[in-house]
Amino acid sequence: MNLLILGLILGMAFGAILQLGGASSYHKIIGTLLLKDMAIIKLILTGIAVATVGIYALDLVDMANMSIKPTYIVGIAVAGLIFGVGFAVAGYCPGTCVVAAAEGKTDAVVTIVGGLAGVLIYSLVYPAMKGLISITNYGEVTVPSALGITGLWIAVPFSAILFLLVFRVLKDRYE
Amino acid sequence: MPNEPVLSWKIAGLLLGLLLITATALVKPVGVSTQYVVTDAIVLHSAAPDLAESNEYLAKYGEKDDWSIGYGWMFVVGMFLGGGLSAFITRSVRQREVAALPSMWKAQFGASSSRRMMHAFLGGALLLFGARLAGGCTSGHMMSGISQLTIGSFVFGISIFVSGIITAHILYNKRTAS
Repeated sequence: MNLLILGLILGMAFGAILQLGGASSYHKIIGTLLLKDMAIIKLILTGIAVATVGIYALDLVDMANMSIKPTYIVGIAVAGLIFGVGFAVAGYCPGTCVVAAAEGKTDAVVTIVGGLAGVLIYSLVYPAMKGLISITNYGEVTVPSALGITGLWIAVPFSAILFLLVFRVLKDRYE
Repeated sequence: MPNEPVLSWKIAGLLLGLLLITATALVKPVGVSTQYVVTDAIVLHSAAPDLAESNEYLAKYGEKDDWSIGYGWMFVVGMFLGGGLSAFITRSVRQREVAALPSMWKAQFGASSSRRMMHAFLGGALLLFGARLAGGCTSGHMMSGISQLTIGSFVFGISIFVSGIITAHILYNKRTAS
């Protein structure tokens, strides 16, 4: 199949899942960050739990087209802190604002425009950011590759812990 | 609550997991934030080619097939279509709130839509600045990265929630009657 069409179809499925699961809702995101509504975090953790086992099972038969991002601890931690502020202020993330925009939410359209501006700003200060990317940079490292063992040995217990979290530990706090 | 999602987190989470596996099997793990770079680069390459070429970060995007409108960009277009379609179809089943001003935001910050737009713009800029510094966002780092047990993605996931939780509590600390 044409790769562009395949992208469109997989994207449509992803967008529909986020929308139907409530991830494009400002209330659900802020409810999550205020630790009152656990639905979105449970949705994400369930997805990760299923995907981790699936991807490493595929990897066992060499069918997973993995793409490991480099790990630079300090730079990523700083980036995450900046991202988190944006997450709470906008009430969306870079993907969910696209879905929310499609729902007709004009604030989400503005978040997309803000995102495009954020990238432009980043591109202008990029030379100054290289230091943050190069220090504590361990390259494309995963938990199994660091330990030198087959991925599934980590994936299965990790997924089990996530399932335990979503089904037994995380509880909504709406009275 | 009028905003309850159509699908429970269990079903949506299962579907999300299956989609992440399918994408990894067929093409590559999902990701969104790179396409903001592609979009910026396409615009800049057509509006101010010299400026685009002199910009170290944007120079490689926006022109060649792999770095322009390709699989990843169509994926994001698909998200828009898929999200819009499912919202349209389910709206007839459930009444969903669609407004520039989320009611929760209004209760805390008042009815000024320009203020909400400022927040939405600033939030978006911070999101993408952070995502590009990290090398991915909630999709590429958190969902896809942690699913591949990438160590940096665990750092990113923890960092965004620590910061997001603190910021949300600061924003919503003055409790208004609700």
